[in-house]
Amino acid sequence: MRRIAIVEDEPAIRANYAEALRRHGYEVATYATRLDALAAFRTRLPDLALVDIGLGDDVDGGFTLTRELRALSATVPIIFLSARDSDFDVVAGLRLGADDYLTKDASLPHLAARIAALFRRSELLSAPPASDDIVERGSLRLDVKRLTADWQGKRVDLTLTEFWMVHALARHPGHVKDRDALMRDANIVVDDSTITSHVKRIRRKFMALDPAFERIETVYGMGYRWTE
Amino acid sequence: MKIPRVALSIRAQLLLVLTVFLALPWLGVEYVRELERVLRDAQERTLAGTAQAVATALHNRTRLFATPPDPIASFARERAEERSPSGVSLPPSASPEIAQIIEGLSRTTARIWVIDRSGTVLARAGSLLSETNGATASDSTWAKVSGATIGRLYKIVLEQPVEDFSDDAATQGAPRGRDVEGALAGILTTDRRPTSDGKATIVSAAHPVWVGDEVRGVVIVEETGNAVLAQRNRAFERLFNIVLAVLLVGSLALTAYATWLSARIRRLRDDAERAIDDDGRVRAPLASSGAGDEIGDLSRSFGSVLARLSEYASYQEKMASRLSHELRTPIAVVRSSLDNLKASALPAEARVYMARAQEGLTRLTQILTRMTEAARLEQSLSDVERVRFDLVPVVTGCVEGFCLAYPAARIAYSPPSGALLVDGSPDLIAQMLDKLVANAVEFAQGRPIDIVLSGDAQAACIAVGNEGPPLPEGMQGRLFESMVSVRADGARDAPHLGLGLYIVRVVAQFHGGEASAANKPDGSGVIVTVTLPLAR
Repeated sequence: MRRIAIVEDEPAIRANYAEALRRHGYEVATYATRLDALAAFRTRLPDLALVDIGLGDDVDGGFTLTRELRALSATVPIIFLSARDSDFDVVAGLRLGADDYLTKDASLPHLAARIAALFRRSELLSAPPASDDIVERGSLRLDVKRLTADWQGKRVDLTLTEFWMVHALARHPGHVKDRDALMRDANIVVDDSTITSHVKRIRRKFMALDPAFERIETVYGMGYRWTE
Repeated sequence: MKIPRVALSIRAQLLLVLTVFLALPWLGVEYVRELERVLRDAQERTLAGTAQAVATALHNRTRLFATPPDPIASFARERAEERSPSGVSLPPSASPEIAQIIEGLSRTTARIWVIDRSGTVLARAGSLLSETNGATASDSTWAKVSGATIGRLYKIVLEQPVEDFSDDAATQGAPRGRDVEGALAGILTTDRRPTSDGKATIVSAAHPVWVGDEVRGVVIVEETGNAVLAQRNRAFERLFNIVLAVLLVGSLALTAYATWLSARIRRLRDDAERAIDDDGRVRAPLASSGAGDEIGDLSRSFGSVLARLSEYASYQEKMASRLSHELRTPIAVVRSSLDNLKASALPAEARVYMARAQEGLTRLTQILTRMTEAARLEQSLSDVERVRFDLVPVVTGCVEGFCLAYPAARIAYSPPSGALLVDGSPDLIAQMLDKLVANAVEFAQGRPIDIVLSGDAQAACIAVGNEGPPLPEGMQGRLFESMVSVRADGARDAPHLGLGLYIVRVVAQFHGGEASAANKPDGSGVIVTVTLPLAR
């Protein structure tokens, strides 16, 4: 049975999330403070950690904890779950090695979908790829099962949300995906400017591998499309 | 009753106050008049004294007055007078002895007569005319300058001593004025009379000459009033020169002071006006003055008022994001609880409430998202990379998108013919247009919306007009503030926080432009205009 650690200072949210995830068949351990969580992680690593950034008086406790957890294990999937939604927090969180960043607006089904996807990814990373789950668009190669993206044969380190967005765009090249569609496909509920910053981050990750990358086009007033 | 307000600068007011000092010359005039009176009294007394002295010398000298005048001597003298080149024919002295006595007593500017009871002149000495008075002429430059300018003015205003008056005595013989009458009656009398041509005044004193108990003759001492007049004029001129100098220096000093004072106040005013922009936002804190006076105090209190205003404004701007942040956690509690509840088997009637609760929650989340949008936008501005892009395809693309997004709205769009290159972020422009059009659609309520993109050499202009209700007075400038909305309450299908146009302004300012809203001239609607400077 997969074991999920929830580090969250708000007891009601902690209990609700724990209950929902248990219903999905996971084993859940909850911690209210960074030190409690860290002590538990040292004895036994969870299979996935759900971390709030602000932990009581420890404003950036979640960031610290992530750094410490990453030091213990490079592979444990980490999802940030926070009331903060500024670009700064998102970027800082992802840079620390989190696999995804969610605001607390996310509904429980959305959260469960993400957790399932992340588990699938870590599970299948070692297995050989099955051809039917591969989307290939020129230099882009998406493995839908493992949730990995490759550009010109090189791995693009996308978060779950980013992968889903790229997938939504690349599946139907030339078609404009508006922001609502992107949100639906990425299992998130955010506002338009957050979509804009997500797309910006995706472009930057591709451009880090290929400075000439220009496949994601902004169609002002409508949305985005994948061009070939 | 309302007193009409007259706009007077501090300088003008101080100069007005300065007119009080114009009373100084009046005081001076009064003083000089008093002085003149005293001088005249003194002159009369001196003349009386002289007359008395002469008379004393002649008292009881019976012989001098007993002898009838010598007709031959008199005749000889008259002949001599006729030949006199001066042409002044004064009655001759009939009595050489008396003439001898009074010669020694005569003064330069006084004339002494001795007459007998019948009015016959027994002796005469001295002249009314003074010698040319060179002592007053000063050689200093100042005196010359003032003599040329102010001096001329004084000559016009003040009565000047005149030397070429007509001397009555020359034609009418010995004076026979009130003083002589008095003296003949035995009393020392003084008199003052104008010359027949009125050019000068003659002051005279007559003293009886006693022989025994009988008045046998009269001593008359005459003098013109010119000496007093000249002295009065000198006093006048001196006084006026000083008063003028004081007034001049005083007004210059006061004007300079007033200029300095009003310059400080003007600077304070300008600073205060500059500190707040057209939208009422505090641009920069006021540099408070270090001066210890009231204006310094005023500047400091202005500074603190502005600082507080600025604090309040930033509090207002941050309130939205703080509030949303604080609300997120309890909403997450509600949402996760509802999600859990939904997962369990619910009776049919509970599902209805469940749906309502979720709907409310969705709206609440929407509000929160909007509340943070502006704050997030402002935070992200520092990382936004500026690129040079053509505004036309961006706006055109957005408008096409709006036509799809708002099928019910009638949107008319007129793009310019050329390209409009702008430095900035096309994403932000799209976000701004989104707010502009959403705002217009809402106010137009089905009536047409016109979007005009135009540009000149310096700037591009995006004007979004709608035919909705006009803006209330005084709201034009405030519309772009955070959390200011002019929508009527009630009948809302979406939450309004007054952040849309605030975002418009933030984006416009990021591009170095500005946003404004105005009613259409014919009152048929509202136009929101954003001007953006073009790339150079």
